[in-house]
Amino acid sequence: MVDTGLATERAVRAWRRILERSPAIGLLPILLILLFIFFGLYEPKFWRGANLINVLRNSSYLMIISAGQMLVLVIGGFDLSVGAVVALTSVAAGLVMADLYAAWPDAASLAIVIGLVVGLAVGSAIGVINGVTVAFLRVSPFMVTLGTMSIAFGLALYVTRGVPVYGLPDEFTREFGRLRWFNVPVVVYLTAGIIGVLWWVMNWTRLGRYVYAIGGNIHASRVSGIPTIAYIVITYTMCSFLAAVTGVLLTARVGSGEATLGTTLMLESIAAAVIGGVSLRGGVGRVEFVALGALFLALVTNGMNLLRVDSKIQTIVIGAVLIIAVGLDQMKIKGRGQ
Amino acid sequence: MTALTPPEALGRRPLKALVQFVVLYGALPIIIALMYLGFGLIEPAFHSGENAINILKQSSYLAILAAGQLFALLTRGFDLSVGQLISLVSVAGGLVMLDVLEGSPGAVALAVFAGIAVGLGAGLATGVVNGVCVAVFRINPFVVTLGMLGICMGFATTLSDGFPVFNLPEGLTNTLSRADVIGIPVPVIAALLVLGTAYVILNHSVLGRSMYVIGSNPRAAHTAGLRSRLHLASAYVICSVFVAVGALLLTARTGSGEPNLGGGLMLQSIAAAVIGGVSLRGGEGKVIHAVYGALFVTVLSVGMNLIRVDGTIQQIILGIVVVAAVYLDQLRTRFR
Repeated sequence: MVDTGLATERAVRAWRRILERSPAIGLLPILLILLFIFFGLYEPKFWRGANLINVLRNSSYLMIISAGQMLVLVIGGFDLSVGAVVALTSVAAGLVMADLYAAWPDAASLAIVIGLVVGLAVGSAIGVINGVTVAFLRVSPFMVTLGTMSIAFGLALYVTRGVPVYGLPDEFTREFGRLRWFNVPVVVYLTAGIIGVLWWVMNWTRLGRYVYAIGGNIHASRVSGIPTIAYIVITYTMCSFLAAVTGVLLTARVGSGEATLGTTLMLESIAAAVIGGVSLRGGVGRVEFVALGALFLALVTNGMNLLRVDSKIQTIVIGAVLIIAVGLDQMKIKGRGQ
Repeated sequence: MTALTPPEALGRRPLKALVQFVVLYGALPIIIALMYLGFGLIEPAFHSGENAINILKQSSYLAILAAGQLFALLTRGFDLSVGQLISLVSVAGGLVMLDVLEGSPGAVALAVFAGIAVGLGAGLATGVVNGVCVAVFRINPFVVTLGMLGICMGFATTLSDGFPVFNLPEGLTNTLSRADVIGIPVPVIAALLVLGTAYVILNHSVLGRSMYVIGSNPRAAHTAGLRSRLHLASAYVICSVFVAVGALLLTARTGSGEPNLGGGLMLQSIAAAVIGGVSLRGGEGKVIHAVYGALFVTVLSVGMNLIRVDGTIQQIILGIVVVAAVYLDQLRTRFR
């Protein structure tokens, strides 16, 4: 009798603790679990290992690019050019690889390395331009990145004439793009690594603290001696670098350099960040929740595919889910305030 | 000396007068005039009367959309659903016209009116949902209108199955696109009406003045006893209705209901408004700014088409020019 009484008391206390903590965690993980159960009950194929790995891989690309978007959002900016950076990176890396590989078919790995370096450098260069224009010339980030988006897409289309770049080394597309360790695609490990590093940067380094500080109050940061301009440039460059990484990974997956690769990623990356609780006013956001936000979007899409929802209707559902998810989160914040 | 009228000052100190003009009206009118002259020097056909009317006609569509976007921007928001709403209105309006014509062939006027009514209704409904989500549920406007972008796109493609709605009545194109009243094309007249409405709302109504307050200081608006939720929601409703008007005019121009009509117009409408001088931080912007922005973008693209600049290069130039124009405007506010 005593034991059971103690046990119930403990259980009650544990539940209360979970409820108390739930506002801190947010509704997102709960929504994720509910969706996970719902899709599985409706279509048992959803729970199969192969499908879950598929969800993980599909969300990986979005996770990387959204993490970059989060950095810029936290510092109080905005990056509309990420999708165009994906396209430009894909085209630049593809052209260099294809040309070098055609010239020296024996040195495939050299072609891959040079292609990767050029792609990542070109992508990051857009970030440097964004950062310098935003920080030095103090033009609104929305307009700057809208401009660079147009420039980067224009360049990608001009260089390729809109035709995909074929002839990439097989070692890149077939082996790197489809490589698996323990039956899990390499992209997933890479994403986990990137998210882990960013988590460390945001929580345990000066860079992270300064980014939060600048996003929270740029004037106070400047007055207290933070070199705000340098940190803004670094942040935009990191964002474009991560977009470039996504571009390279997607190129490996589709097997050609494409100028149309990133068109939907701009809005999706912002959506994932916002679902993950990043404030569009700066200063607030955690990389682990942004990763969950990306996972959430990938999960909804995959579940609807398995339930054979028409792709046109899917866009309606995703739009409604986005509004409702953020709306619920908003109500929770309001409830806590009162 | 201080109260010199511009022409007098021009005689004595041209540079100072220029700076004064720029500080007062912005650099944009001068830049637009220079661009107009410059393109004409390269390609004389640019200066024909026909082309001038063409530019006015082309820019009137964008001016209507930018005026709608102005309302959302004023209240510190934006409306990302603009582009896909255009597609939805175009498809829905087109389908209704076909349905009416099928039921009673020959009732062209009725069909066109029904299509316009349904199109405006779709705009109104979208605006109400946007407005309620932003103002009542306090959800971030970016998220709301991004979600609405998906919803509108889904409806537009589902209704049309992804194919354009052809065989719209000729009367639609004839009245809303090709016709003119004493030489002024109908789209230009429509734009003038919409811009006039926007001007009256913003400058001569409590609603409009309230939007400026909401945009520059939301808490003050609430404390001052303004019905700020209602006014904030109205901004999105007005934006969507304007956009629906623009969408119907665009449908009349193409002569078919197009599920891809609005693709790039969301960013263009925001770009035009902001290039024109509307602040993204809310509370700052006038109707004339939407006109400047629309004229600028149109003169640039028509000019580049006439001197045969490659489409992809145009995209690159537009990007550079957008950033430069906003930077120049930034300088102006710093001087003031």
